[in-house]
Amino acid sequence: MIAAGISIQLAAAPWLPLHFVPAGNLVGILPILIVGGGAVIVLLADLVVPRRGNLVLPVTAGIVLLGALGTAAGQWAVHAAHPIVFNGAYADDRFALFADFVILLTALAVVALSPGYLRRRGMEEGEYYTLLLASVTGMLVLTGALNLIVVFLGIELLSIPLYVLAGFARDEPLPQEAAMKYLLLGGFASGFLLYGMALIYGETGHTGLVAIHRVLTTTAVSQQFDPMLLAGIALLAVGLSFKVSAAPFQWWTPDVYQGSPAVVTTFMSVATKVAAFAVFLRLFSATLAPYRAEWEVPIAVVAIISMVFGNVVALAQTSVKRLLAYSGIAQAGYIMIGLAVGRPDGTQASLYYLAAYAFMNTGAFAVITILSRRGEDCDRYSQLSGLGRRQPFLAGLMSIFMLSLAGFPLTVGFFGKFFLFSAAIHDGQLALAIWGILTSAVSLFYYLRVILIMFSGATEPVSDEAPQVAGVSLDGAAIAAPDAAVAVGVSSGLVVLLAGAGTLVLGIFPALIYTLLQGITVVHG
Amino acid sequence: MSWPILAVILLVPLGGALVLLGLPASRPRMLRICLIAVTAATLGLSVVMLVYFLAVPPSSASRLTGSANGQSLSQVHSPVTFQFQEQISWLHTSQSLSRFHPAFNEGNNAFNQAGPPPVNFSFHLGVDGLAVWLIALAALLFLVGAVILSRKEERLKAFAVLMLLSEVGVIGVLTSLDLVLFYFFWEAALVPLYFLMIGWGDERRGRAALKFIIYTVAGSLFMLLAIIGVYFITGAQTGVYTFDVPTLIAAQSFVATTHNTTFSLFGHSFPALNPQDWLFLAFALAFAIKVPLVPFHSWLPEAYTSGKTPFLVFFAGIVSKLGAFGFIRYNLTLFPQASHLFQPLMMGLGVASILYGALAALAQRDTKRTVAYASISHLGFVVLGIFTLNIDGINGSIIQMVNHGIVIAALFICVGIFEARFATRSLRELGGLAKAMPVMAGVFLVVALAGLGMPLLNSFVGEFLILLGAFQVSPAWAVIASLGVILACWYMLRMYQGLTQGELRTPFGGDEPSVVAKAVGRIGRIDLGPVELVALAPLVALMVFIGVYPGPIIHYSRFSAAQYSQAVDRGTAASAAGHQVPAPTLEPGGRS
Repeated sequence: MIAAGISIQLAAAPWLPLHFVPAGNLVGILPILIVGGGAVIVLLADLVVPRRGNLVLPVTAGIVLLGALGTAAGQWAVHAAHPIVFNGAYADDRFALFADFVILLTALAVVALSPGYLRRRGMEEGEYYTLLLASVTGMLVLTGALNLIVVFLGIELLSIPLYVLAGFARDEPLPQEAAMKYLLLGGFASGFLLYGMALIYGETGHTGLVAIHRVLTTTAVSQQFDPMLLAGIALLAVGLSFKVSAAPFQWWTPDVYQGSPAVVTTFMSVATKVAAFAVFLRLFSATLAPYRAEWEVPIAVVAIISMVFGNVVALAQTSVKRLLAYSGIAQAGYIMIGLAVGRPDGTQASLYYLAAYAFMNTGAFAVITILSRRGEDCDRYSQLSGLGRRQPFLAGLMSIFMLSLAGFPLTVGFFGKFFLFSAAIHDGQLALAIWGILTSAVSLFYYLRVILIMFSGATEPVSDEAPQVAGVSLDGAAIAAPDAAVAVGVSSGLVVLLAGAGTLVLGIFPALIYTLLQGITVVHG
Repeated sequence: MSWPILAVILLVPLGGALVLLGLPASRPRMLRICLIAVTAATLGLSVVMLVYFLAVPPSSASRLTGSANGQSLSQVHSPVTFQFQEQISWLHTSQSLSRFHPAFNEGNNAFNQAGPPPVNFSFHLGVDGLAVWLIALAALLFLVGAVILSRKEERLKAFAVLMLLSEVGVIGVLTSLDLVLFYFFWEAALVPLYFLMIGWGDERRGRAALKFIIYTVAGSLFMLLAIIGVYFITGAQTGVYTFDVPTLIAAQSFVATTHNTTFSLFGHSFPALNPQDWLFLAFALAFAIKVPLVPFHSWLPEAYTSGKTPFLVFFAGIVSKLGAFGFIRYNLTLFPQASHLFQPLMMGLGVASILYGALAALAQRDTKRTVAYASISHLGFVVLGIFTLNIDGINGSIIQMVNHGIVIAALFICVGIFEARFATRSLRELGGLAKAMPVMAGVFLVVALAGLGMPLLNSFVGEFLILLGAFQVSPAWAVIASLGVILACWYMLRMYQGLTQGELRTPFGGDEPSVVAKAVGRIGRIDLGPVELVALAPLVALMVFIGVYPGPIIHYSRFSAAQYSQAVDRGTAASAAGHQVPAPTLEPGGRS
């Protein structure tokens, strides 16, 4: 209903050069248009409004994201019978919309966290919100991409603003290193991706996913061994594994997560992963399904390596952000279980886990963001030490996020893992489930250690830290004593609170997400 | 019963925790009174439940409402019956889940048709003659823990809230009749326990807590896989995809468990394990860690020695019983044949725990560690009794679980009192305390005698039945296990004598009771205070009552023991037949 109304209005507007684009197409990509347009508006507004301490830009960005969210919800409600637009280049099916919800909500959380954080860190630049919205635009392009060209477009649109955002604290050495590393390795991965696409195009003669799928299933291509096509698939998998930071393509992750400003890391660790997994799932579970026998085992191996590597290396970390980076690698491994399973229930389990991951990981990083003070991010265990006594509420919420990441019941992480393991066992991939179980047990150690440090103040596992003293830093700004309570801003507090509430409520009532997922079809025709 | 008593028993402590959360932390007296009131109300409700349960003759309780997925096992009855059942749907999915678009479906139909079976779990609660007693025990021990919780305890409010949340988790484990719900409570109960462990206790508590939680969760995660495995294997073989426990128990009669293949090792041929056996082992691992049985026990001494007394009362008293409860409820009923296959292994582990625990207890000079190892030894009896797989053994185990809960709580309270008075737990530094605290010595004597299995006190009843059951399996088991009873006399009496008899000896010096009392900081006397007496009185009373008149508890747990033993016997029936039982005629659509 809503979509129909909008399409009539658009068609009736004579000043829009719509004669070459059927209006329905624009309705299909309305969230992208809104966020992309919002990026431009914020960029222009930045020229007019004063820089410091101004909330115009974040509020504008927030409204833009809310608008996109509302539009996406409208599209979900209308549930178009034929959700393929632009000649089969883009799908606004519920699969894409579900991923859009998660991305937009995460972006909204990041925008809410940003003003206070940027002020504390002295990075209040208007371009920040423009870049953020631009990156979100790329993600939205990616979730519905039905054409290899559009996939590449989305990946680049997503990545380039992130390269800049990663180095946004440009006076500090660590962010610079992070940005450079991200740029170089990201470009490298894009190359892999592009080469893979080229090979697939060369072999099938199509860039559209539906057409490729048709060729793979109907022609003799699928019957014989085809090194070029397999190489293409492998290169695609490598490029996408890089984007979701799955091992052994994860080397950039810890440095970039640690070096980037905490808000950017929040955004990067959740939204990028969701978008990249959306396209990963669509490409492999649907388009390349005929070749499942070929890619199933490599993907499963990547999943296992990620779970093992991420969880084991996380044990040795002394930096909170690096800890969460390695935990993110491990989580990517869990999500890949659903990808390796490939069936509809695997896809569904992966989507469920992505939504769960958005809640718990955004929450965890939001706490880190809130605790970050002038001059440096909250990155050492000693900064969390005794938090349970200083700020029991914040520490309690952080505990919820840690327990959820570890997969404890009462939190959304439990059902995420439950559905993933369940899908793996149903598919007969017992090895995946067992590795998942073993590594989950390992992960307890470092997740619970964070809780232990917050509540008992025991920092004995970490001893190689310089003692921090209250006083004056190099630029003359006063550094708060490490045990002073941090003031929590309204918007940041709201983000953590909602993330915590979501983690708990969805952990007790899994049906809230699950029933949403039940209606999902990956691309309609 | 017309009202959902089990849900109310779960909600009272949960509501209490929320109320306590709202109270000011600066009013410790009010907090403590509220905590006692909530736990007392829970105990009151459990007693009401117990009375209702006892009022219903066991035979008439055999109505089965196994109706998951809208399919009822109409012609099949679960050998184990549950009362006070309540069921609310939790997550229910239709047969068709997400699909791929037809465009992606050409020539690929097999892939899409093998869609997932419906996921279906529910809040299904119910109790049998095993769970009712444990629920009553849990409620009692939480009340006792609340009574001896000092008003001056630091961060009293947090302790009280976490304690009530633990109670919800523990009672949830005991009442749930859905595997997912069971696992949910099983793991969720660990969270408040973990926080209680890291927040209160001696300086090694962080390490102890981490060790405990990693041990337990590592075991339970395999159980999670096994739960999913039971779901799919039972579903594939009987067409009933469900996590519902009564339905699953009923359905196990029709799950093929024949050992078709063998493998040879060292010239002997062994039956290869079938999936059921692996599932049994996965469940058993989780429960064996929780109990704990001997190779998995190393978390226990640290956890038991670093905790505070109010925590230990319910932690040692009831949490360790959950493992034994799981063995009976899940291992015996869901994997009857595997239970027979692994009977020697499990009985062996039980006996090993009995002997190892007893010998380790003998080697200790620390009173708390002695009690901790004694606990391992006593729980070995429980597991031994369970895996006799006969009525006497299982019945004895049920009773012994209750007994052990009462005795171990009382022992920890006693040891805790000595520690609080003299700031030491070492047997070397204490002695002759009967002169200074005669009442305490008297109570401690009863508790220690109960701990070593003295006739006319409660443990004797359980141990006797367990040995009776073990004797029926093989006299050798009973003979070896009874060594544990002898060793128990040794370490218990040595601890009692060392603490109370001989010359008065304390770290504060002095051979006159009044001098010691002054040194401890109490004018006149250092004997039991009124609060401690109130906490110990019900426990001692129950020890004597069950010891003298065990009739009711034996009678009202025996029918459940018989049902569990009958459930396991399906395994022998199937293997005696030597082939798979004919497929059941499960009628879909019989909603009830």
